[in-house]
Amino acid sequence: MRDVNAAAATGDNTGSSILQQALASLEQRTRSVDQTISDAAAHNLTPRLQFPFTVCAVGGYGRSELFPYSDIDLLILAENEEDLPAMKDPLSDFLRVVWDSGLHASQSVRTVVECCRLHEQNIELHVSLLDLRFVYGDAALFQKLSAALPAFYQKQENRLIRELADMAAKRHAKFNNTVYHLEPNIKEAPGGFRDIHLLHWLALLAQDKGRIREALEGIEGAKRFLTAVRCFLHNQSKRDNNLLGFELQDRLTAFWMDASAEPAEWMRLYYRNARQVYQAALHAMEFAETKDPSLARQFRDWRGRLSSSEFTVSHERVFLRNPASTLGSAQSVLGLFTFVARHGIPLSWDTQRRLMADAALPARFKNDPPRWPDWREFLSQPNVAMALRQMQETGLLAAAIPHWTTVECLVVRDFYHRYTVDEHSIVAVEVIDQLAGKAEAPLRFRTLLLEEEDRATLRLALLLHDVGKGVLPGDHVQGSLQAAVDVFERLSVPQANREVINFLILHHLDLSSVMTGRDLDDPATARLLSSQIPTQEDLRRLTLLTYADISAVNPTAMTPWRLEQLWRVYSAGLEQLTRELIANRIDSANDAAAQAAGESPEITKFLQGFPTRYLRTHTPAQVRRHFEMDQKRKRDGVAVSITHDSGAFLLTVLASDQAGLFAKLCGALASRGMNILKVEASSNDHGCILDLIRFSDPMRNLELNPDEVHRLEWTVECVLRDSLSVSDLIRQRRSQPRPSTGSKIMPSVHFNNEASDECTLIDFVGEDRPGLLYDLTSVISQAGCNIELVLVDTEAHKAIDVFYITQSGGKLDETLTDQLTEELKRVAMPV
Amino acid sequence: MKKIEAIIQPHKLDEVRDALKNIGVDGLTISEVRGHGRQKGHKEVYRGMEYEVDLLPKIKIETVVPDARKDEVTHAISAAARSGKIGDGKIFVFDVAEAIRIRNDDTGELAL
Repeated sequence: MRDVNAAAATGDNTGSSILQQALASLEQRTRSVDQTISDAAAHNLTPRLQFPFTVCAVGGYGRSELFPYSDIDLLILAENEEDLPAMKDPLSDFLRVVWDSGLHASQSVRTVVECCRLHEQNIELHVSLLDLRFVYGDAALFQKLSAALPAFYQKQENRLIRELADMAAKRHAKFNNTVYHLEPNIKEAPGGFRDIHLLHWLALLAQDKGRIREALEGIEGAKRFLTAVRCFLHNQSKRDNNLLGFELQDRLTAFWMDASAEPAEWMRLYYRNARQVYQAALHAMEFAETKDPSLARQFRDWRGRLSSSEFTVSHERVFLRNPASTLGSAQSVLGLFTFVARHGIPLSWDTQRRLMADAALPARFKNDPPRWPDWREFLSQPNVAMALRQMQETGLLAAAIPHWTTVECLVVRDFYHRYTVDEHSIVAVEVIDQLAGKAEAPLRFRTLLLEEEDRATLRLALLLHDVGKGVLPGDHVQGSLQAAVDVFERLSVPQANREVINFLILHHLDLSSVMTGRDLDDPATARLLSSQIPTQEDLRRLTLLTYADISAVNPTAMTPWRLEQLWRVYSAGLEQLTRELIANRIDSANDAAAQAAGESPEITKFLQGFPTRYLRTHTPAQVRRHFEMDQKRKRDGVAVSITHDSGAFLLTVLASDQAGLFAKLCGALASRGMNILKVEASSNDHGCILDLIRFSDPMRNLELNPDEVHRLEWTVECVLRDSLSVSDLIRQRRSQPRPSTGSKIMPSVHFNNEASDECTLIDFVGEDRPGLLYDLTSVISQAGCNIELVLVDTEAHKAIDVFYITQSGGKLDETLTDQLTEELKRVAMPV
Repeated sequence: MKKIEAIIQPHKLDEVRDALKNIGVDGLTISEVRGHGRQKGHKEVYRGMEYEVDLLPKIKIETVVPDARKDEVTHAISAAARSGKIGDGKIFVFDVAEAIRIRNDDTGELAL
């Protein structure tokens, strides 16, 4: 009885003794209730009613599946409507006797004609009549109804099937469409009894019931398991309780397994069974969708145009065109999930079945996993959580990331958490998906996500951040970091992304802790944040991860209170990091990081005076490369290099300081049609300017004509040496139409004299266009100001620029800031 | 009996809870609330967009104590929650007509 694992191995998930007891108790109670009802009717109805009537059992009672403390549903059937008023008093006495016997009864009184007429507002009536059973009274009247119902159900088949599927979908949504609740409701939640009933009803209703019957047979073991659990819950609670709470999990584990067994182990057994039921229910709902002739359905079928040479989209599901080819490699299977993640269309039951039936597929993921570019493509799509769930259900997520098995269905008890560890992680990814896709998402955090270029890395960090709970319980952060090492190798994650993910895992609890444990108005808190979080980009990613992590605890965890606190933490950290951009300079003599990065005294000297951010955002190899370019600068006055960088180009310039240098660079790029995406400009103590400009080439000129790279480098060199005039170059260029954005972004300019001890900070946001940065920097230079440091970013069509500027070595006065505000707004005003 | 309601800074919660525990007050209700006092709200600009920040996150602590302990408890809260800066919060004291322990129908101070 207690060796449930052995029972599961032989296909009997429940342990035969518990099961037999449970099934016997259902039958026994049904018989006992039948007797009570019959006696009550014989004494209170038969003597007083002078016309035919029948007492019928419906719902669970009708199915003879009466759990120990379940309510009973009765249908009192009369032949004629005129008979109904006479039934009132006798029925009242009958029901009183039933209630006095300890039964909780719900009743409806109807005629045969009523039962066979569609009640649009009471579909539940028709569903309950599917389980109609005679208990007492006039058998001929019962036969009359039994004979009439099939024709009614045949006529209303499609309608009732759709209604059932809709009701199931709404019920699933109430439980966030997941079986992985820490304290599940085994009746209503996905994978619970209601899903078994759904299959049962569809099998009764559908003419073409082959697929439904197949699904029902597939969950026979799971049904027996859940039956035994529900009986146990009722008997232990002494009431109609279907919530499998922590205390009952403890009792069930002790009763069902060895005394030493952990409840988490037993819960895994529960989730395995519930998952089977839920999958079968989804299969049935997919079948039900084919019964929908509505316009909405026609629209969904229109999405069949998304079909490709590999996949067919039909009835809002993805089918395989060439299964042998798709299942032939892990890479192509990941391509299938990428398709799901891109379009937000789930796999069909048939496709899932094929994936699960291919026994060699997990080995392909283990032995020849897809490489990072494929994973990056997958994790960058807008509906990654949907695809991850389907990978999980088909067993392929665990095949791709073996450590995932340690958190699969893992219950870690917590007062606030609602889901198992694996589900929590996938919900966190879903939060990011929704933040990008839902207009009602919190605007500030949505803006942060729009600024994030590498969502794939963020999502992988979310997937891994709690894996340590299964790997190293008690210190899950270290456990997750350990697991990540293996995952990085399997997925061939590049070093830079590894560092980002490790940082996010290591610090994923920090912002939550600051939110509640630190005075956010205290400058020490901001300094603490900046000491732990190297760059603005790291802070942004960590804030997004924290937002997703808290939101995934339970549907109401991210309260407006926490939202505001998290934003305050982000703002405090961002302000401090921005302040430190200019204030915190590398002091090679005292800075250990600079000494470590500088492989020689010359390189250490070269680093002297650059912002400390430079060391945090560049690898030693990049530092060495810049140092080598500085040697050329010393010889030739300027050193220029253009390299291809993650889908864009990176212009690296080292030059001696000169007036208007940055404006010239922007002008040179604009004159060749390049679009500046990101800029970091700074200088060291030796008068060397280092400008790093990431730009795109909308005309693909550099990509299609590699020699043009050298020509552009030459142009930049000439401009910096003043042998070419930027204004001449700009004049020669044909004006380009601005990209159509559908909306105009009005420029905003904010000056801040508090952000730095020496400089004035300009925070500019406006509509991006080719040459915008050249126009802005020209205005600043023409006003006699020096650009000390620049951070430029582009988010879609929005340019986000931060300039640290000085005039005559000091901050700007009010007259000049007013003048510059007006000028900057003027040149940036959208047409 | 007095009901004591304190609005404090979120980061002061642990200190206030410890201070109350040290004087034997274990029964507390704590809520995450938002509001503002005299400062009212202000506007924040992020990436060119303005956001109204009119409600700041605070913590509300509620406890009911015998009349004789009112001063002791309010002093403990204010000492633990005070930083000296604007926004430290407020304490309100109310009369309580009756207290009933639902489990066993104890009433009055016996129910606290």
